[in-house]
Amino acid sequence: MSFDFAFILSTLPAFLKAVGVTLQVGLIAIGTSLLVALVNAAILVYRTPYLQRLVKLYVELARNTPLLIQLFFVYFALPELGLKISGFAAALITMTFLGGAYLTEVLRAGVEAVPVAQLESGRSIGLSEGQLLRHVILPQAGILSLPALFANFIFLLKETTVVSAVAVPEILYTTKSYIALYYKTYEMLAVLTLICVLLFLPLSLLLSRLERRLQHGQFGS
Amino acid sequence: MKTAKTSKLLLSVLGLALLAGCNKAEEPGKPAAGGAAPATSYLETIKARDKLIVGVFTDKPPFGFVDEAGRYVGFDTDIGRQFAKDLLGDENKVEFVAVEPASRIPFLQSDKVDLILANMTVTPERKDAVEFTNPNLRVAVQALVPEGSSVKKLDDLADKTTIVTTGTTADIWLTKNHPDWKLLKFEKNTESLQALASGRGDAYAQDNLILFSWSKQNPGYRVLEEKLGEEAPIAPAVKKGNIELRDWVNAELARLGEQKYLLKLYDQYVRKELSDDTKPESVIVEGGNWQG
Repeated sequence: MSFDFAFILSTLPAFLKAVGVTLQVGLIAIGTSLLVALVNAAILVYRTPYLQRLVKLYVELARNTPLLIQLFFVYFALPELGLKISGFAAALITMTFLGGAYLTEVLRAGVEAVPVAQLESGRSIGLSEGQLLRHVILPQAGILSLPALFANFIFLLKETTVVSAVAVPEILYTTKSYIALYYKTYEMLAVLTLICVLLFLPLSLLLSRLERRLQHGQFGS
Repeated sequence: MKTAKTSKLLLSVLGLALLAGCNKAEEPGKPAAGGAAPATSYLETIKARDKLIVGVFTDKPPFGFVDEAGRYVGFDTDIGRQFAKDLLGDENKVEFVAVEPASRIPFLQSDKVDLILANMTVTPERKDAVEFTNPNLRVAVQALVPEGSSVKKLDDLADKTTIVTTGTTADIWLTKNHPDWKLLKFEKNTESLQALASGRGDAYAQDNLILFSWSKQNPGYRVLEEKLGEEAPIAPAVKKGNIELRDWVNAELARLGEQKYLLKLYDQYVRKELSDDTKPESVIVEGGNWQG
């Protein structure tokens, strides 16, 4: 089995474009998921009546249906109801749907993990609920959530490969196209793996560095 | 920087692992590798296993699909059963593996199947990648458009979106001859048809037999007269270099041709799918004799 490097070189421009699409889908989805999660977590933490139930239902629904099925539903089934959404938009919608649910849980868990003694101490020195939230709960909850939050960011970025199924030209779609056209299975899968490592590993390292740095304030060195 | 060093090391290890994996041509997988100079005869390997492993389509009626009872059936699929009967004495000594257009060749290359019987058109690129036997069908690529579409001829598609299924002859032909046309690719034939039905593209380019069959059952569509490229043979395929199995299939096709076996399958599966004036000879290639 020979390894065709010349062929790999010829595909690089297309892969560069695909990496752009992957990052675009991944980063936008992380941002929108975080927004959804912040709103949801606030609803959960403040135990807003009715809305709280709705958020719980959403989280369970999103976490217990596979992304691929959500994607097929939005892309192939909704047009039958007269709602036609582009592949790119379908990708963002479903990834936000999924990511929002996971991140909601992360943020909620972060807030719940702040020791009760901290709240009681805060109240005993006369902090208002607003001050308690701003100066006691959020700083600690944020730090506590970081590891899980970052892990979920990476998870969402990796999940972008699923959206190749609705013809979004990201890295897996590009890989499969080349394999189908030129049968360079080994070469293209090697390139794909390498791209994933180059893309996700540095990001993962960066995030864990950031995590250490931010937690330094809490736990010292 | 410690992290940079670590990642460099990791990368080189990974690269080596990938390359090492590629050098291993013969894997101890289920179907023994039929590469160059096999130590034992490949047919003997199949007989020792007492099972022929065939890659087939499961969503392309009438060639390969799933019937009401959940059995894999169809024009191609049933040929696989007949092969098993003549090689191993029992038509049930066959294991079908579901393949998609784009996975047919990788499945052969990685020894997951002995044989592909999945409506694969013979093209020069594919000839480099696999060993084709003599053909069993003939086909041309055409395009399906909605009845009311403004598209009258192929070139009208230049500024439109054309749907293809990844790795089909249509995908390859369009990429090569019209690299600037916008293509939307899906993994499965059914997904592509669904995409056309929901207006995600203006046309669906695919083997004409599949289009004829589908449009007969789903009114509201028409097939463009103009063909994409020449009429081409469709043939079973085995792994590159597996001359022994290829020759056996060729001899078997010739033998089945004497019994007009393909015509029988045509009557069973294909005839009702096509318009009444279609001649069987314009679809099937009996005995493996190709006259282009």
